Amino acid sequence: MSTVQTPLDTADTATGGPRRAAAWSDAVAALALVALLVLGAATHRFYTFDNLRAVLTSASLVGIAALGLTLIVIAGTSVSLAISETASVCAMVFLATQSWGLVPSLLVTLAAGAAITALQGLAVGYGEANPIVLSIAAGFALVGVATWVTGGTSVAPHGAGYIHLNATPGGIASSVYVLVAFTVLLELLLRRSGFGRTLYLTGANRRAATAAGLAVGRTITIAWLLAGALFAVAASFSGAFNTTANINLGGTLTFDAIAAVLAGGTPIAGGSGSAVRTLCGAVLIAALSDVLLLRGYSTGAQVMVKGLIVLAIVVVVHLRSRQGAR
Amino acid sequence: MMSRPWIARAFLSRPERLLPTSALGIALLAYLALPVYAGGPPLAFDTFNALQFFARLAPLVLGLGLTMFAGEFDLSIVGTYALGGMLAVQYGGTHWATGIAVALAAGAVIGAVQGALVARFNISSMPVTLGTYIALLGLTKSISGGLSKTYDNISVTLWVDRQIAVILSPRSLLALAAFVVIGLILGCSRWGREVRAIGSDRRASRVSGVRADRLLIGLFATSGVLAAASGALLNFSLGAANPDPGTQPLILAAVGALLGGVSLAGGRGTVVGLLAGALTVSLLAQIVTAAGLQGYLAQLFYAALLVLIVAVEAPGLRRAWTRTSVRLHSRRSAERTRPTDSRKVAS
Repeated sequence: MSTVQTPLDTADTATGGPRRAAAWSDAVAALALVALLVLGAATHRFYTFDNLRAVLTSASLVGIAALGLTLIVIAGTSVSLAISETASVCAMVFLATQSWGLVPSLLVTLAAGAAITALQGLAVGYGEANPIVLSIAAGFALVGVATWVTGGTSVAPHGAGYIHLNATPGGIASSVYVLVAFTVLLELLLRRSGFGRTLYLTGANRRAATAAGLAVGRTITIAWLLAGALFAVAASFSGAFNTTANINLGGTLTFDAIAAVLAGGTPIAGGSGSAVRTLCGAVLIAALSDVLLLRGYSTGAQVMVKGLIVLAIVVVVHLRSRQGAR
Repeated sequence: MMSRPWIARAFLSRPERLLPTSALGIALLAYLALPVYAGGPPLAFDTFNALQFFARLAPLVLGLGLTMFAGEFDLSIVGTYALGGMLAVQYGGTHWATGIAVALAAGAVIGAVQGALVARFNISSMPVTLGTYIALLGLTKSISGGLSKTYDNISVTLWVDRQIAVILSPRSLLALAAFVVIGLILGCSRWGREVRAIGSDRRASRVSGVRADRLLIGLFATSGVLAAASGALLNFSLGAANPDPGTQPLILAAVGALLGGVSLAGGRGTVVGLLAGALTVSLLAQIVTAAGLQGYLAQLFYAALLVLIVAVEAPGLRRAWTRTSVRLHSRRSAERTRPTDSRKVAS
């Protein structure tokens, strides 16, 4: 839990909002984590290797998609409501191209996800289109086109290259390694690159960023493009795990990813947030569900607690930041 | 500016008027042409079905639309819809009124709590209502143990779907009544104007004496009640309660509201527009069913409509459009009059 160093922290902002928000939400997140660890200690079988592995595995797919969404949120372009559909289509592409071998089909899948989402990013970045309405439209278009092409059937793979994605090196699912690797990469990108700095500034105040001559349109487009690529990575793992893919494969991924980003304490208004935070949010939700599962609560209770946690974190983060920015 | 056709001008300047009218007009024309390409089933039966779909969707459109007037976005309606339906089936076994009362009370409380959070703390409503939506979905699942619940009171099931005047039913009449009542309340009082004022500039509206907090709580409570009522009536009609309706009702409600000329930025829209939007979506759904069209055609059509809405509303695209038309106009006028430096005119 390190404080997030956004470019705004170094500036002497009048409100001190972002810095305080980061500090406070980190404190709240740390408290929640401590509470969870205590609860875990009181729960039978929570601290076993098998169980922690299960938590990480269940957090990994949502986590990878949520990392992508983090970029969209930081850019101040709200959220995409087409994550499930994008992931479904990407998983279909991934399995349909299995006969070409694993690496080519992965590349094609990444390109598909990136292209689908970057196209929306272009309209959002350069045309200032509304991301919510546009992504709803994209969701309809993706479902429509996918149903048209496949005739409403599931895609079955020709070839078994996807098996490698289900590998468990060191007893841990490979999607977990990928999640951690992407978290590190994104964190570096956000903190150490010009793109990252521009992204935070764009999210914090788009008009000011435009007035300052930053490449706002390009930055937003790249953020959406990378997000699409990450949705495609999550989709590839999901397709490999399920071995067939149809348009319903994405399931509740859209709202799970948004929940993970929000549980990490990232405000939806944009301008702050980090990859590590989102990783923590995804793990927090997975660990909570796991504790409830071990204590014998129903699926309904797990989902309910997830919602309440998101609600509580949103309210607390907002109150602590006192930004009131909308 | 005179060179632009008046339709384009009206469309670009008053989308809230032209959009619902044209969308509903196109849907109605396609619907009236239905017997031609579907091999002529009686229209009355189709109309009844379209209005049954309307009864399910329209309260959600109205609830979501009301919060969108005020610049908010109530994602939780689909959670309240599921919970209201479940509660109505759970407690309406002996007497339907008990079930409806519990469902409506739950909807009102959930809405009011969310409205209070959004108004008092000035939080963006989307994350708040998303958390509520997930929590409500979980609550509905735990009430029913994750399974569907049947409703055995056949007389109620038959009553809510009874045909009235060939094409109507108590359900669709109640949905229409909700529009009439809320339309009159907002149209004949200061509230309609105040709600739109909250949506266009909250701070300014507070300064000028609008009680924004009370209005927001009222709006969210109304939205919750409408969603719960819709879910309760639907489950009475189906004779069962499904714990997870998915996100399709929410997405379709958003489409209906947007086609009704409401903007996500807030401060725009009318109840009549919402009615038109809800009718449009219901007619389109019925056309797809009756004509035996592929479902994906409807999906692609919705996508095209929404892209159109986005294109009309995006400031960047609008600026590009204005720039292009000014440039074209100046070039044309330059050709007509003596040759001048077109760049000077354009600037």
